[in-house]
Amino acid sequence: MTVRQTTILAYRNLTRHRRRTVVTATAVAIGLTIFIILDSILLGAELDSDRNIVWYETGAAQVIHHQYLKERDERNLNHVIEDQDALARELRRGGFAVAPRTVFNAEMILFRDPFPEDGNVPVMAYGIDPLQDDTVFRISQSLRDGRFLEPDEEGVLLGSWLAEDVGAEVGFPIILVTRTRDGFFQTMDLEVVGIVETPNPIVNRSALYIPLSVVDDYLYMEGSVTELAVAATAGNVALELQAITAAYPGLQVVSWQELAADYIALTQTKDSASGIILFLVFVIAAVGISNTILMAVLERTRELGMLQAIGMRDREITGMLLAEAAGIGVLGALMGVSAAALLNIPLITQGIDFGFLMRDTDVGYRLTSHFYGTWNGSTFLTASIAGIAISVITAVVPVRRALKRPVVESLRGGNG
Amino acid sequence: MIRITDVHKTYQSGDTAVHALRGVSLLIEPGEFLAIAGPSGSGKSTLLNIAGCLDSPDSGTIRIHDQDIHQLTVTGRATYRREHLGFIFQSFNLVPVMTAYENIALPLELLGLPAAEIHERTQRIITDVGLAGMEDRRPGRLSGGQQQRVAIARALIKEPAIVLADEPTANLDSTTGEAVLELMRQLNEERHTTFLFSTHDPKVMDFSRRLVQLQDGEIVRDERKRL
Repeated sequence: MTVRQTTILAYRNLTRHRRRTVVTATAVAIGLTIFIILDSILLGAELDSDRNIVWYETGAAQVIHHQYLKERDERNLNHVIEDQDALARELRRGGFAVAPRTVFNAEMILFRDPFPEDGNVPVMAYGIDPLQDDTVFRISQSLRDGRFLEPDEEGVLLGSWLAEDVGAEVGFPIILVTRTRDGFFQTMDLEVVGIVETPNPIVNRSALYIPLSVVDDYLYMEGSVTELAVAATAGNVALELQAITAAYPGLQVVSWQELAADYIALTQTKDSASGIILFLVFVIAAVGISNTILMAVLERTRELGMLQAIGMRDREITGMLLAEAAGIGVLGALMGVSAAALLNIPLITQGIDFGFLMRDTDVGYRLTSHFYGTWNGSTFLTASIAGIAISVITAVVPVRRALKRPVVESLRGGNG
Repeated sequence: MIRITDVHKTYQSGDTAVHALRGVSLLIEPGEFLAIAGPSGSGKSTLLNIAGCLDSPDSGTIRIHDQDIHQLTVTGRATYRREHLGFIFQSFNLVPVMTAYENIALPLELLGLPAAEIHERTQRIITDVGLAGMEDRRPGRLSGGQQQRVAIARALIKEPAIVLADEPTANLDSTTGEAVLELMRQLNEERHTTFLFSTHDPKVMDFSRRLVQLQDGEIVRDERKRL
């Protein structure tokens, strides 16, 4: 039999039991839709998070002291860039936008009046250059209240959730307790000049921005900084940065992915989760297809016996039945892909608001509220191929079982 | 020529061994119109299945045109059936999603003949079996007699050496059954195709030119009729 005849026969057999075919294909379609939509949300969250890390946390890459990365979480100011001015100038000459920063841990001390209650809150403080920072970051564009920092003023910007948590408003005095570069305790008296609200929960939850010159004075940094953040440019950023930085011993270039290792680990977990979901889709599809083909084979025992009797070879009968399974897979894939595409449109334009969750829970993604979907052609293709492939693979066992039955038994219509 | 020599076949039914055939030997000449008769359980279907390469004997040989067909592999037997044998079944066994035309043409499709030849031969046999005008009907829209005509046409279209028919009229009323037998005999006379069919209906036995009677797996009568 030709492929065309086999296809026509498979189509007719599928339409012979329309309801069963549609129900089975629907099971496949539901599985594929779940897979595609989940992948869309997770990939969308990943792309938005990537952007929010680069725009609000790290820049595209950073030049740091070679021992800074492993002690970065402690933020102890032991490993800094001494001659940052010279290096920053050179990087700018090389075409890079550069923002120097000094990052340190501090305790924010609160006194009743004007704050609602006494207390202290751990914060992550960033000394930023108000004139250079927005060449790399987007903090200045994220003001909710007040204004951006001015150079040399003893002012501070607070993340919006941090401000809400402590009841801070523009004009409130802030006291920070931290350690200087030499390890001595230091107290900083600052005034809230603005409150920033970004799409990055880390910034909103615990960040606090102070002019770099003020941090330099208070912490005795003597012109040094902990990091030089660099904006993304076209071309091979890492290689060009490394070439310029090579003249400064003890420094290294790290990508934003290395700086956000916790988040990268999360996205890898997401890939595993997608694999598990795809497997579950396979199981759902496999159960449905297997059942349908088994029923088709049992119902047509006598017909299959007749086909064997008139000389149709086992591989031809197998091809005919597998074509039916493939037909269910194709229908399921079409339905699944269509449903997923329709559901994906509002997901991309409106997203799903997880603000209630992101406010108080750190799920790793750098998103504050809405998870938006994205179009991922390869997932649509993978899902379609997987749906068809699993349909065919699952059908092999019942078909083989049917063909093992002696021809005379099949002709009698026996189910043994 | 079909030479069946000392064929034995035993089935296991639970703990009981059923001796379906006990040393059956039979020589069938080309162009014969032979009925194998006998009561239920006499072994006629088993003999037909073994002669038709659908089942294997426990011992003995079946040679068709000097070829021992049970020495062939499973695929070899399928190929042999495809090329040399035609089958007519008691319950017609047509493919319900195929039209009468497609059911009849199926054996030629399996042989991979050119489309033009398939069409020409199918149209011719449709006329021969009196199904002209019903080509596009599916089996569900044909009467029992018409369905059996489709089955006969399907069995004969590839011009096989032998047609094996297992109780071909059992599911038909007597008038239709008689018409089908007439058709089979007519085709036997015109095409000299060997017909080997099982029956336990005396009317059908009357139609045959040779009657082989089986009882308890043994041939108890072998009678050639003069017509």
